[in-house]
Amino acid sequence: MRSNTQHMTNGCNGRATSGAPEVGVHHHKHEYECQGVTNGHVRHSSPPPAPVTPNGQSCVGRRHVHVNEEVPFHIILICYLSYVVLILFGYMRDLMRKTGLERNTNAVERDREGYVQLYQSFESFYTRNIYRRIRDAWNMPIASVPGARITIIDRLTPDYNNTFSYPGTKTEAINMGSYNYLGFAENTGPIIENVNNTIDQYIVGVGTTRHELGTTEAISQLETLTARYLGVESSVVFGMGFGTNATNIHTIVGKGCLVLSDELNHASLILGCRLSRATVRTFRHNDMRDLERKLREQLVLGQPRTHREWKKVIIIVEGIYSMEGSIIDLPELIRIKKKYKCYVYLDEAHSIGAIGPHGRGVCDYYGCDPNDIDILMGTFTKSFGAAGGYLAGKKSLIDHIRVHSYGDAYACAMAPLVATQISSVMTTLMGEDGTNQGQQRIKQLARNTRYFRRKLNQLGFILYGNDDSPVVPLMLYFLPKIPAVIRMAYKEGIGFIGAGFPATSLTTGRVRFCISASHTREMLDKSIEFMDEIGDKLEIKYSARRRSKSEIIY
Amino acid sequence: MCCRGGRRAMGVVLVWGMMLGGTPAQVNPNSLWLNSRGMWLSYACGVLVLHLALLSFPFLSVATVWTLTNVIHNLVMFVFLHVLKGTPWESGDQGKVRKLTHWEQIDDGIQFTSTRKFLTVVPIILFFLTSFYTKYDSFHFVVNFIALLLVLLPKLPQFHCVRLFGINKY
Repeated sequence: MRSNTQHMTNGCNGRATSGAPEVGVHHHKHEYECQGVTNGHVRHSSPPPAPVTPNGQSCVGRRHVHVNEEVPFHIILICYLSYVVLILFGYMRDLMRKTGLERNTNAVERDREGYVQLYQSFESFYTRNIYRRIRDAWNMPIASVPGARITIIDRLTPDYNNTFSYPGTKTEAINMGSYNYLGFAENTGPIIENVNNTIDQYIVGVGTTRHELGTTEAISQLETLTARYLGVESSVVFGMGFGTNATNIHTIVGKGCLVLSDELNHASLILGCRLSRATVRTFRHNDMRDLERKLREQLVLGQPRTHREWKKVIIIVEGIYSMEGSIIDLPELIRIKKKYKCYVYLDEAHSIGAIGPHGRGVCDYYGCDPNDIDILMGTFTKSFGAAGGYLAGKKSLIDHIRVHSYGDAYACAMAPLVATQISSVMTTLMGEDGTNQGQQRIKQLARNTRYFRRKLNQLGFILYGNDDSPVVPLMLYFLPKIPAVIRMAYKEGIGFIGAGFPATSLTTGRVRFCISASHTREMLDKSIEFMDEIGDKLEIKYSARRRSKSEIIY
Repeated sequence: MCCRGGRRAMGVVLVWGMMLGGTPAQVNPNSLWLNSRGMWLSYACGVLVLHLALLSFPFLSVATVWTLTNVIHNLVMFVFLHVLKGTPWESGDQGKVRKLTHWEQIDDGIQFTSTRKFLTVVPIILFFLTSFYTKYDSFHFVVNFIALLLVLLPKLPQFHCVRLFGINKY
C-alpha cells in the first residue's frame, strides 16, 4: 500500500504529496493525470478538453460497475426442464427415423458396406433435433447494405426447415443486428464520394504483403491518422480484425510469459494466445478482484514446473464484450497493472468509435490516459464501416511489431480503398472535415443507447451490460423462446440476433440489439413497442427490480 | 492424449451449425454446462420427481419404490455419464473428445472439482436413504450396492480414460 502511494507521488513530480489519494479510492481524478504528466510519460498529443457526456455531466473517472440481475430459481428449473423435453423428443424422433415410422431426410452414405462410418449420428444430434428445427431464424440472406434498414430475402420452408424455397419477395426490416454503431454502413454520402474519387488515384487492391509492396500511401496516412486519433505515438493497420489478434500476439508474448485473459474473450484473442505458446490463465468475466487474486497467485507460483519468475505478464481484455454488453472496468485495471507492473492489451473492437464523448473508445469514456495502456487494439469493422484492425502504442513497440508480425509478413495488406474509407471516417469523427457530423453521430448514438436501454428497463426486461454500451443483450433464458421472438419480429419488420446454447451458457439464451446512430426515434419506438407486446405474450419480462414510472424523454 | 491431467483446451470453434452471435471461448461446452447456476437443486428436484412418480404406483411397496428409484437413477447416470461418448455437436477441437465419456470431459479432465464431487456424493446419499427405507433388507441391499458400485467405480480418478476389456473403446 505504502509503496503504491510513493509510486504515484514520484510520477507526479512530488506535487501531489499532500493530497495523495489512498489506494482504495481509485475513482479519483488525480490518479491518472497530474497536470498532464503521468508516470513520467508525456502525452504525445494534446489532451482533449475535459470529457463531458451529452447531458453535460463530467465523466472523468466515472465508474459504473454493473451487476447483471439474476433471475429467480424457478425460471432456471423450467429452463432445464425444457432441455430435458427437447432431448427426450430428440431421442424419440431418432428412434422413429431409424425404424422407418418417420421419413429420414438426413444424408446417408451409400455403397459403403464394411466401411467404418464417417460421422457418428450422435455428433449431429444437436444439429438434427434442435438447430435444424429453428434454423430459419439464423443466417438469413440479405439483399442490401446493412445500414439502418436492411432488406432480407424471404424464405419459405414446406418441410420444417429441411429445405428452403425462395418466393422472390423481400422484407425491409429495421436493422438492429448489425454492428453499425455510428451509421457509416451506407453506400451513399460524402465519404463514399471521397472513396470513389480516389479509385483512380489508388489501385483497388494490392495482392501482396506489407513487407513487399503492400505499404501504400493511403495506408501510411491511415496509420498516422489512427495514432493521432487515439492519442498515442504510433500505430500499424492490418487487413483483417480477427487476423490482427491472431497474427500479432506472438510478437509480444512467448514461452515463459503469462497471459491473463478474461473468460469471455473473443476467439481471435484465444487463438493468438494459443499460437504464442504462452501460459494462459482466465479470470472471471470483468471481475477485477478475481483478476488480482489470480495475478497474485500466479506471480507467487511462477512458471509451471520450474517455478522461475515469469518473463512477462500481460492482461488481455476487451473494451466492450459483444455478447454481454459489459464495459471493462478500466480505472481499476490500470491500478492493478501499475501495482503489479504488468502489461495491458486492450481489444477495442466494439468500443472504438462507439463510446466516449469524442468517440475514442474506453479510455475516452473513463477519462484515462491512452498511454497507460501498453497496446491498444481495435477493428475498423464496426464503427468505421470498413474492414481491418489496428494496433497502437509506443513507437518502439509498433516498430517491433511491424517487423515480426505474421500479418505483415504473410497476409495481404489492406486495400488502399478501404484505408481511404477509414481515413475519411476518422477525419469526420475528429471534426477536421469542416462539418460537425462526427460529433453529431457520436451524440446521437449515446442518446439512442440511453433511450433504448432505459425504456426497455422500464418495461421490465432484464438487460445485461453497462447502461452506456450500445450492445444490448436482452435475456430470454429459454432456448425455444429465441426463435419465437425472432420470427415474430421478422413478421413485423424488425431484425436482430439471437444466441443460445452452445454459444452461450445453458440457461442464458438471449437476443441482442446493436444500437446505431442512424436509428431514428421512430425506429427505436417501433422496436420498443414490439418488445413490449411480445414481452407480455411470451412472459419474458423477468426483472424484479423496482423501476421508475416517469416518462423517458428522448 | 486425452488423459494428461487437466490442460485447459482452447481454440477456434467451428461456426457452421452453431447458434451464432459470437464465437464462444470454450471449445467444448460439454465440459462446463454442469457447472451452471441452479444445477444442483434442479438435479435434486429431478430425482424427487422420479421418486414421486414411482410412489404413485399403488402396487409397489415403499421399499421397492426406493430401490427402483436408486437403481433407475444409477442406470440413467451410468448411461449418460459413462457410456455415451463425444458430444452431441461437432466440437471445435478437431475431435479430441470424441472418445471421452461425459464424465471424462467435465471441466476438461481436471479431477476433484465441485461438480465431480457433487455427482459422486449424490448416489451415495441416495444409497443411504434407500438402505434406511428398505429397513436394511439383504436382497434390497445387494441390488442397491451393486447399482452403487456400477456408478461409483467409473468415477474414480484411476479409471479416467480406462476401458475394461475394450468395451466402449471406439
